[in-house]
Amino acid sequence: MDWKVIANAPWIWICGFIQAAIGFFQAAYMYRVATRVLEKHGGYTRSDIWTMVRGALITALGPVLAEIFVMMALVISISPGYCWQREGVGVGSVFTELVQASNAAIGAGEEFGTPSFSMRGFATAVFVANVSCIGWSLGAAFFTRYLGVARERIARGDPRFLAIISICSTLGIFGFYAAKEMKKGGGKLVAVVAGAIISAFLFKLADWLKVPRLKEWALGIAMFLGMYIAHLVYPAG
Amino acid sequence: MAPEKEEFVDIEPKVFEKEYLEPIHRVGFWTCLAVSLAMFLPPLLLYLIYGVAAPWAAIGAGMALALTYAVPFFFIEPISYYPIYGDAGNYMSMTTGNVSNLRLPCAAVAQDVAGVKLGTRKGAAIACIGIAVSVMFGIICVLFGSIFGGWVTAQFPSWLTEAFKVYLLPAIWGAVFGEFALMGPIYALPALIIAGIPLLLGWKAYFTIPIAVFGTILFGWALYRWRKIAPPE
Repeated sequence: MDWKVIANAPWIWICGFIQAAIGFFQAAYMYRVATRVLEKHGGYTRSDIWTMVRGALITALGPVLAEIFVMMALVISISPGYCWQREGVGVGSVFTELVQASNAAIGAGEEFGTPSFSMRGFATAVFVANVSCIGWSLGAAFFTRYLGVARERIARGDPRFLAIISICSTLGIFGFYAAKEMKKGGGKLVAVVAGAIISAFLFKLADWLKVPRLKEWALGIAMFLGMYIAHLVYPAG
Repeated sequence: MAPEKEEFVDIEPKVFEKEYLEPIHRVGFWTCLAVSLAMFLPPLLLYLIYGVAAPWAAIGAGMALALTYAVPFFFIEPISYYPIYGDAGNYMSMTTGNVSNLRLPCAAVAQDVAGVKLGTRKGAAIACIGIAVSVMFGIICVLFGSIFGGWVTAQFPSWLTEAFKVYLLPAIWGAVFGEFALMGPIYALPALIIAGIPLLLGWKAYFTIPIAVFGTILFGWALYRWRKIAPPE
């Protein structure tokens, strides 16, 4: 049987549904616990929670759409079923998936995305892509509770130092990604700078105008405008 | 919604431990374990239904390559991201991936909208809401994307598709950086410099990310310790 037929047969869709169901249940449960504790002990109302949800949804739209565009590479090279199975629960981004499928193909002596990719390459990709990523979920299962203890010990319960850790680690991570793209120059540099300026301006504007609702849209607008300005200066494709 | 008032009151530690952390750890542990086990299903079913198994030599070579790429991130990502998204965020992010481009921006915007102080218990619960929403929304969209993705992407003009592929990620990095630069302007430029130097030297990401994160924390700590400088209240 052609490997492309097997790669889109019901078995792989079912595997995807099982994994996605676990991820969905986990998120739904944690959402419920967080909502309950914030309403009961944090002084937040149902409508406050809904504001946070709306902000997260608006922000998620751009990255999820971008993911779907990149996903098409996986749909075309392997199959929609494989794409759903790997991306449904989304362990690793699409970029990671493409790297792992390429690594598996090399292991099988083939090249991903070319006619040399066969059943042997597909079976290796299925094994390698799935099994190699369990380090993240197993690590989370066994070590998450110790991360909090470590952080508390380092900060010794000082709320100002805890805030410094949060802000500095976020600026450190995003400083790394921003600097990496800025180094490439051209449109990517423009996208980073435009995204940063527009986002900072919109968040500040929301405070100046006392319109907190603008913050729900700020990141989403900054992402799209940053992308669009970069395209105007250096047309993509 | 009204941002947090001047007098910030966090959730009681004992209440938070019992009503939030305990159930989060319990369900987080079992769901992460379950998803790890479920990763063995596809190769197992491929073998049981079609009798197709990858040769061990190919698995060995493929795994060696894949793990070379992935193993450093098994450690670096949770340690680096945890201060931002907390326990629930770690369970969900390590299960569902797409942390820097999707989970963290959603957590950050939820916290900003709520006007909550970072590093607090309320902040962790709000980040949990942002991340949980992004996970549920993402799963639904990926399902539709897998089925109708070809049709959906064909509806967009080609320049937009290309712009999404090339420029959206840099714009996200910039946008989140801009948001947090407002919260701690004094750390923004040093963060870029600390990350930029190893990048210019061409060091690998698994060296550069910890340097960027812990270097910036160290800088923040030094300012706090010796100059009493902390983020604006």
